[in-house]
Amino acid sequence: MADYLLALVQTAVLLALAPLLTGIIRKLKAWMQSRRGPPIFQPYLDLAKLMRKGSVVSQDASWLTSLTPYVCLASMVVAALLVPAFVTESFGFLGDLIVLVYLFAMARFFMALAALDAGSTFGGMGSSREMLVSSLIEPAILLSFFTVALLTGTTSLVSVTSLLATSGASLIGPALLLAFAAFFIAILAENARIPIDNPSTHLELTMIHEAMLLEYSGKDLALMEYSSMVKLTLFITIAWSAFLPWGVATQVTAPDLALGVIIFLVKLLALALVIAIIESSMAKLRLFRLPNLLTGAFILAFLAVMSYFVL
Amino acid sequence: MAEINLNLINGLAAMVLLAAFILVATGRLRTMVRVFAWQSLALGLLAAAVAYSTGYWHIYVVAALTIVLKALIIPRIIDQIMDRIQVANDVEPSVRTPSSLLIAGGMAILAYYVAEPLIQSGETITAGALALSLAVVLIGLFIMISRKKAITQVIGLLVMENGLFMAALSLSYGMPLIVELGVFFDIMVAVLIMGVFVFRINRTFETLDTSFLRRLKD
Amino acid sequence: MLELLLIIPAVTALICLLLKDRRQVEWASSIGSLALLALSTYTSYEVVTSGAKDEGMLYMDGLSAFMLMLVAIVSLATSLYSIGYMGRELDEGRFEASRFRYYYALLHGFIMTMVLVCLSDNLGIMWIAIEATTLASAFLVSFYNNENSLEAAWKYVIICSVGITLALLGTILLYASSIQQVGEAGGSLEWSSLLGMADQLDPTLLRISFILVLVGYGTKVGLAPMHTWLPDAHSQAPTPISALLSGVLLNCAMYAILRYHMISSAALGPGFSGGLLVLFGIFSMAIAAAFIILSRDFKRLLAYSSIEHMGVIALGFGIGGSLGIIGSLLQMINHALTKSALFFGAGQVYARVKTRTMEEIKGLSKTMPITSALWFAAFLAIVGCPPFGIFVSELVILMAGLQAGELLAVSIYLILLAIIFAAMLLHASRMIFGEPTKVVEKREGDIAVVMMLVVLLAGVLILGLYLPQGLNDMLEGIAHLFPGGGA
Repeated sequence: MADYLLALVQTAVLLALAPLLTGIIRKLKAWMQSRRGPPIFQPYLDLAKLMRKGSVVSQDASWLTSLTPYVCLASMVVAALLVPAFVTESFGFLGDLIVLVYLFAMARFFMALAALDAGSTFGGMGSSREMLVSSLIEPAILLSFFTVALLTGTTSLVSVTSLLATSGASLIGPALLLAFAAFFIAILAENARIPIDNPSTHLELTMIHEAMLLEYSGKDLALMEYSSMVKLTLFITIAWSAFLPWGVATQVTAPDLALGVIIFLVKLLALALVIAIIESSMAKLRLFRLPNLLTGAFILAFLAVMSYFVL
Repeated sequence: MAEINLNLINGLAAMVLLAAFILVATGRLRTMVRVFAWQSLALGLLAAAVAYSTGYWHIYVVAALTIVLKALIIPRIIDQIMDRIQVANDVEPSVRTPSSLLIAGGMAILAYYVAEPLIQSGETITAGALALSLAVVLIGLFIMISRKKAITQVIGLLVMENGLFMAALSLSYGMPLIVELGVFFDIMVAVLIMGVFVFRINRTFETLDTSFLRRLKD
Repeated sequence: MLELLLIIPAVTALICLLLKDRRQVEWASSIGSLALLALSTYTSYEVVTSGAKDEGMLYMDGLSAFMLMLVAIVSLATSLYSIGYMGRELDEGRFEASRFRYYYALLHGFIMTMVLVCLSDNLGIMWIAIEATTLASAFLVSFYNNENSLEAAWKYVIICSVGITLALLGTILLYASSIQQVGEAGGSLEWSSLLGMADQLDPTLLRISFILVLVGYGTKVGLAPMHTWLPDAHSQAPTPISALLSGVLLNCAMYAILRYHMISSAALGPGFSGGLLVLFGIFSMAIAAAFIILSRDFKRLLAYSSIEHMGVIALGFGIGGSLGIIGSLLQMINHALTKSALFFGAGQVYARVKTRTMEEIKGLSKTMPITSALWFAAFLAIVGCPPFGIFVSELVILMAGLQAGELLAVSIYLILLAIIFAAMLLHASRMIFGEPTKVVEKREGDIAVVMMLVVLLAGVLILGLYLPQGLNDMLEGIAHLFPGGGA
């Protein structure tokens, strides 16, 4: 019982931290571009503002458009329940790594459909591009998950994390590192980060994710934005927990927990910094070059699996 | 200690294969030469690690030769050739990057299947690297076939030789020293000769695109 | 003692490089080739009478002696022919005078690498020697430095280097197989030791090794489908070099394959490697037949004919048994002599009509009667007309095939031989008979060349009529070296 309480607290922390993480990334980017940037708590204020406003929905839209924000939010919350962040406890009985992939897929599916629903060309364009990106990157995600599953013998995320954390350095090898590299590219791809997509553009030539959100306003928009922020936080958390989880609390004792929380926050910040650096130093790839990068990620994951079998 | 050494060897072998994939993916000639130099460096370090754990001193000699020749001298020579010809930095692939990467992946799988029975019977500590080295050989061959510029064909050949060297390491800790020395000498001379030819081709045909070499036909 | 065989051509190359006067270079080259032939004859005689010589890295048994004699004889013919041919090319300004000595230096360097192939005991050194032959001959192929020869030389270097790299992988696997069974210290690349421990070698590794070596060195032999460089390289090289490439280099590469074939037969039985040789042999003959029919350039025609004959030789060795091996060995000699005669004659023809396209050449018998008669005789010889030697060697291989029960291979063999017979004689008679298209004066080629053609053709003729007892014994001795060849 105490375990589930702890897991619930963990989920709450994740959900609460999500907008803060986005704010920190924006701040870091601003600093690197020699600007002051918005305050790190700005996303909270933005979400609050949006929640107060009413939504305007297109006349041609169906029930899908109203349903989608809730579906997205729901899948993100359920996913947050499954992911161990600073302690190896979660509602893991609900699902494993594969279920995680499908939860994210469900959110993306509804988002893409809803974008088509309004009948605007931007939405359709965003949907098709999003589907291109995800169809190329999902095999990479699955293969990198398979790698850790092969290494640890299980697909339950909690078991993966605890096994990796307690096994010392023996499981570190080319397989794990290659899988991590592939998954990192997946973080960028799935969360609409440069070099795959620009999260702050509204130019028709360049948007993918934003195009799908164009028709939302008010509360719906708040929920969609919040889901994206949670998705980013979850991806970063999974990257650490599934591949390099050292520092996570494997036992429920006060010092372990404290250490786990601190290390978790440091890890979040570290990857946030890396993402900010990448976003500031690279340009977005042109669309026809995307398959090059994404196939590269797939090959990295493939090499990870191969390294497991061969070496 | 032995465990770390084994991990190091496997890690370096994986880096050699990864470098081969990067060579397939990249679109710039200068990058290809750079990555080839890194691959040879990883290979030399791999040889040194093998020498350290087995105690055969002649492998140290070979490792040093690999690093000096393939990671330093040969990339220098190729860079100088490219400077003299002022070749455009663009690799002209006849197969586009995503398909190339997937084909290279397929070759890695093929190499694994071919090498599997050999790995079982392997007694050396680097037996697992055999599949990776066969993959590098096949990928080198693929680079030669699917890229049109003459210089990329030379680089593909050198990558094949790298893979071969790794295969020799993983199967039998390399070959007798005198044979290895002779092989290195051959490769050096081959690169020099091919360099002269590349220069002459560029001077005569005004291009390095080998699809122009089509005059001799039946 | 055996090192002298390597030192002679090396020294000759060096001297040719340093001398400035054209006459002196030509003399140096000729003396060097004569010396090589003399020493080769002496050492071969010793080997055949008293047994194999094992001097560390260098090793000479009956087979090496045979190949060595072949190299020496054809090299002599080539260096003598070069004097007249390259001299005329120089006078006509086809290349700069300063490069004259490079030609002879490269020629003798090339000869040295081929001698090294025949004498290596260490399979690794043999590999290095074969790679060296590619590198040494690369500049010879591109000697004229025009677009066509550059293209030919580039293809030659790249395709052969790829093939040889695969062969190196095969060599590595063979070395590994010797270590697997015998342990670290027993691992060896010495051919003589490997043959001794053949039954202890790992069969899987050995199989893969032989396949790689066959494909790899087979590229240098010109076996289809790895032959694509051959017509270009052999047609663009200067004519004396073409003779050397077709007559000797292909055989040297075959020699390398044979060494592996011997080890493989000793370990796995002759069926595996023999079967593969038969397969590649027949396929090469088929491809060659197709392209011979389509040929438009007579030097390319001769190059495809080389592919066909290497296919026949591979077939003979693949069938195996004493008959098959002796047949192929005879075919090697006969082909080398006849092909040299054909190329030398071709050089004369080209010097006269200035074109290589066969459609444009007619009525040679009116323009140069004696030379064209000899050239036509050489064509008859190469397609296997009796009483020339090739008829005999092809017949022996046919008998070997029938004896071994390889009926399918034999029937395809006969059909292809017939097709090639018809096609080549058709091309040849079109060029030689009829009325000349352009008015060209009636004048013979060089007397020296005519003499050389007579000597070469006489050799083939004699071998077709009568096999000297000494040669017969030598060939039988070689056949016994092959596991399963003693029958």
